[in-house]
Amino acid sequence: MSWKRVCAADEIPENTLKTFDVDGVAIVVANYGGGFRAFPPFCPHMEEPLVQSGLLDGGVLTCSKHLWQWDLRTGAMVGIAEKPLLTYELKRDGGDLLAFVDRELEYEYDVGDDVSDDEFFKAN
Amino acid sequence: MKISVQSKSGVFEYDCGDDELLLYAGLRHGLTLPYECATGTCGTCRARVVGGDAVMAWSDAPGLSYVNRDKNEILMCRAKARGDCTLRVPAAVTNSMNPEIVPGYRQGAIANVHKLTHDVLGFGVALDRPMTFRAGQFVVLEADGVAGGRAYSMVNYRRGADRLDFVVKRKPGGAFSDWLFADRVDGARVAVYGPLGRATFAPEGGKDVLCVAGGSGIAGMMSILACGREASYFRDHKGYVFFGVRTERDVFYLDRLSALVEAFPDNLEVTAALSDTPVPPALRQRFPGIQFDTGFVHVVTAKRMAGRFAGVVAYVAGPPPMVDGALRMLVLEARLPGTDIRYDKFS
Repeated sequence: MSWKRVCAADEIPENTLKTFDVDGVAIVVANYGGGFRAFPPFCPHMEEPLVQSGLLDGGVLTCSKHLWQWDLRTGAMVGIAEKPLLTYELKRDGGDLLAFVDRELEYEYDVGDDVSDDEFFKAN
Repeated sequence: MKISVQSKSGVFEYDCGDDELLLYAGLRHGLTLPYECATGTCGTCRARVVGGDAVMAWSDAPGLSYVNRDKNEILMCRAKARGDCTLRVPAAVTNSMNPEIVPGYRQGAIANVHKLTHDVLGFGVALDRPMTFRAGQFVVLEADGVAGGRAYSMVNYRRGADRLDFVVKRKPGGAFSDWLFADRVDGARVAVYGPLGRATFAPEGGKDVLCVAGGSGIAGMMSILACGREASYFRDHKGYVFFGVRTERDVFYLDRLSALVEAFPDNLEVTAALSDTPVPPALRQRFPGIQFDTGFVHVVTAKRMAGRFAGVVAYVAGPPPMVDGALRMLVLEARLPGTDIRYDKFS
């Protein structure tokens, strides 16, 4: 478990997303204006690469594939999103952004014959 | 064959014909299985076969890039069962689809094939029994001897329609469009499955309507406008139509759109956007009720709609790059909530 340097904060212009390799873990960092968020590179819905499909405006991230949205200021789901965005803890160290990466965050895209019935049938 | 679907909201069972696509069988029983394109490209109807055997009828379906084939996942829209089987579907499913629009199989005959532009045809399909559908929906058409089904949005709107009207753009190498563009298809038999699609319009909605269409994407918008006209919706609500094409020779339906503007001159506004050429003055003179502009349709829409997006529900259809540009504009510039943007991913 450790804090790892991701990038310099000024590498990411406002309202854009960029992917970084942090010790073999792909992490997307978004500059939403009021701050930064770090999350896995794919949309939790259908694995769309968010660096291409993601639209960022007014603090809200939209995946343009099916318009799932998240408010990056609070981390809350917006509109028709059905799954939360997983995020890495992020902090500033001078001009750098550090993420807390103890393991790669991944979504459960599996339709799941390897999960128990209880787990499969529970709401997302 | 018995199909059992394990969904996030419980287990459902339905019968499936020997040669029937799993999605089509489930939908015709009124199950709200997840899908968008219904023709193998979008990946939305992904399911895992957890019991029995089901195989892809189209092993090269582009939507297979969304599935994990090692884990026996399939696309229900292009898969068939080889006996009773059990599927897991990672979505909530209900059996409460509105019975009026539960999809089904019909036989049809091609009628009234007519040229709209140098590479766009209009055609009708006379149905063996009437179909009720929502404005903005589509069906899948399949012709004998032409591999695979193709999705086409209805142009017309009528409850219990005994004929469906469509437009088709000629695509290089498109088997179905090649077949339609060949001579003497009038009267040819086609199989019709539908209605399908969720980017629908209902007059109860109460919002102003914005239609952003590229090329043959205007089809579903014409159905929405026809439905709105029938319900006198545009007496009390605004309708904004933006129709993008490349050049003057690619525009069609301007006569029909002019008639709609004439019927609701205060509330309906139609703009044709030419992306590749300036607007010839003769075109403006021919269609005085239509606005014309130059540029990509989403750019023209953003410019002309600035300050007027509040309270609007937007419908988008057209070629993928145009749809993508329009969605970006509607999210980033118009700042419409995702719930007020409607489109079906055909490709």
